Amino acid sequence: MSSLNDVAGPQQRQFNPYTENGGTILAIAGTDFSVIAGDTRQSEGYNIQTRYAPKVFRLTDRAVLAVNGFAADGNMFVKKVKQRLEWYRHAHAKDMPLHAIARLIQTMLYARRFFPYYVYNILGGIEDDGSGAVYSFDPVGSYERETCRAAGAAQSLVQPFLDNQIYFKNQQPAPGTSFPAHLPLPIVLKLVIDSFTGATERHIEVGDGLEMYVVLAKGRDLSGLEGIVGLQELSTKSDGERIFVIRRELKKD
Amino acid sequence: MASASVYNPVGFDFSNQVRNQFLQEKGLPLPKATSTGTTIVGCLFKDGIVLGADTRATEGPIVADKNCEKIHYITDSIRCCGAGTAADTEFTTALISSNMELHALSTGRKPRVVTAMTMLKQMLFRYQGHVGAALVLGGVDATGPHLFTIHPHGSTDKLPYVTMGSGSLAAMAVFESAWKPNMTREEALDLVRDAIFAGIFNDLGSGSNVDACVITASHTEMLRNFVKPNERVEKEQRYKFRRGTTAWKKESIKDLIVSEEITPIGGQVEAMDVS
Amino acid sequence: MFLTRSEYDRGVNTFSPEGRLFQVEYAIEAIKLGSTTVGVRTPAGVVLGVEKRVQSPLLESASIEKIMEIDAHLGCAMSGLTADARTMVDHARVTAQNHAFTYDERIRVESATQAVCDLALRFGESVHDEEAMMSRPFGVALLIAGVDEQGPQLFHTDPSGTFMRYEAKAIGSGSEAAQSELQDKWHKQMTLREAHILTLRVLKQVMEEKLDQHNVQLAQVTPEKGFEILDEVRLKELVDDM
Repeated sequence: MSSLNDVAGPQQRQFNPYTENGGTILAIAGTDFSVIAGDTRQSEGYNIQTRYAPKVFRLTDRAVLAVNGFAADGNMFVKKVKQRLEWYRHAHAKDMPLHAIARLIQTMLYARRFFPYYVYNILGGIEDDGSGAVYSFDPVGSYERETCRAAGAAQSLVQPFLDNQIYFKNQQPAPGTSFPAHLPLPIVLKLVIDSFTGATERHIEVGDGLEMYVVLAKGRDLSGLEGIVGLQELSTKSDGERIFVIRRELKKD
Repeated sequence: MASASVYNPVGFDFSNQVRNQFLQEKGLPLPKATSTGTTIVGCLFKDGIVLGADTRATEGPIVADKNCEKIHYITDSIRCCGAGTAADTEFTTALISSNMELHALSTGRKPRVVTAMTMLKQMLFRYQGHVGAALVLGGVDATGPHLFTIHPHGSTDKLPYVTMGSGSLAAMAVFESAWKPNMTREEALDLVRDAIFAGIFNDLGSGSNVDACVITASHTEMLRNFVKPNERVEKEQRYKFRRGTTAWKKESIKDLIVSEEITPIGGQVEAMDVS
Repeated sequence: MFLTRSEYDRGVNTFSPEGRLFQVEYAIEAIKLGSTTVGVRTPAGVVLGVEKRVQSPLLESASIEKIMEIDAHLGCAMSGLTADARTMVDHARVTAQNHAFTYDERIRVESATQAVCDLALRFGESVHDEEAMMSRPFGVALLIAGVDEQGPQLFHTDPSGTFMRYEAKAIGSGSEAAQSELQDKWHKQMTLREAHILTLRVLKQVMEEKLDQHNVQLAQVTPEKGFEILDEVRLKELVDDM
């Protein structure tokens, strides 16, 4: 029998507004291109909520945003960024430049410093000077321009691989040679695919599908994309930067 | 070898329990045991029992083993699928397997499934759930085919079709929709395969391949990697490192051949008697 | 027009039956009482020039501030009730800083101009029963000069909140004569120096006093160095060369 003493002490109840929905994203910048990728599985605990929930979004003809973490926050955040881009277009009669989107995302994230969007963002695309760029963010808006970045459930599996294969960490160049600062598109695509098939093998929250967005600088030819199955163009103009998406299946267990 | 000052009792050693609890309260996380996330099933058919299991072992969200064995040997005609803490399922089944062999030797009979079940539940109950083994026990003995589930606290069920582990709901959904009495061996094996598939594809704790085991009165057939629906695709690139890739700080080469000069003393040495 | 005074003169946000807002029209008239201000655009940059009316020998001419910086790449010159321009320039400065903070880039000249004009229309605006923030239209016109990705640009704003882009524009008391002179002398490929000289000549024509480095002020916005007010040394050189 419970006595009054059992319930007399202070009690606490907590509502946790966040969940973690798994999945992984990554982006790699080339000299005149950028690749932004993410898997399409959305999970909660041991359950798969859906096998196709995109985490990578086209913002403009030269900017792509990958969002990972709490899916509800991520989707709302992307919606709000898109709304701000539309307002900017109306106010300033042009598409927002990539570095401006990066700064905008910082201010939007930091505005929620004490009730953050529980998301890790990676922004990829082409800068005004035509160079490929990747910006990575933490949930409250700290950001940095980088050559490559992985985030999400399998970040700890993928980032060391990228550090080794893209930054050539822990590798000595052959005598009289040096490592390139940027890799060509075909190699980058292979690394992205192997990152995700590898993460699928060893992380239970990664799998089902892979979406890779490729952004090419203005005037760049399509070299590196020829013969790629399932390539789909998403550009709105043919004379500016061009955006493509490549979709692949991943293991479903 | 046991001396008076160092007493080694048999069974579990609890000497670090107080220390570990103290460390845990101080905020030091205890090491995480490998869990076999797992879908395991068993079902009765016309001639006996079919057991099934996936082959994924996990450590949190990481896949620790892509092709582990979860159907453990108890006796020739009794097998046990394990879910939960990998070490607990392995040691518990191995221990009961030994005890069943001893029991068979001392009674001079083929041991029964209920015997194994009783030994398992008594052991698990004794440890009040701290031995984290969730089991599906199946086999055929003199009294016929039997199928049990045993929960970590020691409770048991005897049913015609059972599932356990994180994928148990997915697998049970398949059984509930398609199990029927008096199935043929092929029907039962297909059903078990589909139940494990349901776990593999819908439960993140389960994955990789299907193991199965068919036990009849006359024969036990272990079907290791019965189906492999999740073969890894070929990598896009080879990742072979050039010789000389790794940097080094110093180089020293040791001569492993030791040369020694021997000076014979006292004339002729007599050859050893090896006869 | 001043003969048709009526009750429609009173409310700042009441149209007359002919569809006019008298207070806005009067505000535009007020500018014509201001000193002459000139702006000239060239491919190399924009030049702003103002006449400083030194009404008394005891007045420190350096304290007359009719050209102001908005941002490193934006400047403006004014004519009319210059005190009103402070409010507008403050708003433009905040808008420009906010843009740089949020987007890590310089605000476009047109966007800054638009922001100022949005403010110009907020007279008579009130929330519920509260007092309106501004009681009357601004009595000042601005020439906003700046440089952005579309090159050097010159905008003119008036109290009605209308803004337009010009190659060259004069406002204030001598604006009619000055504007026709600009129309005659301005050409597409002017150098910055030619624009300086043209600005000074136009001002000289409409000024009552003799023009010297004390009673005019010149500023420029160039892609290289952004906004700068020319000091008296450089001003004197140009006046001498005129």
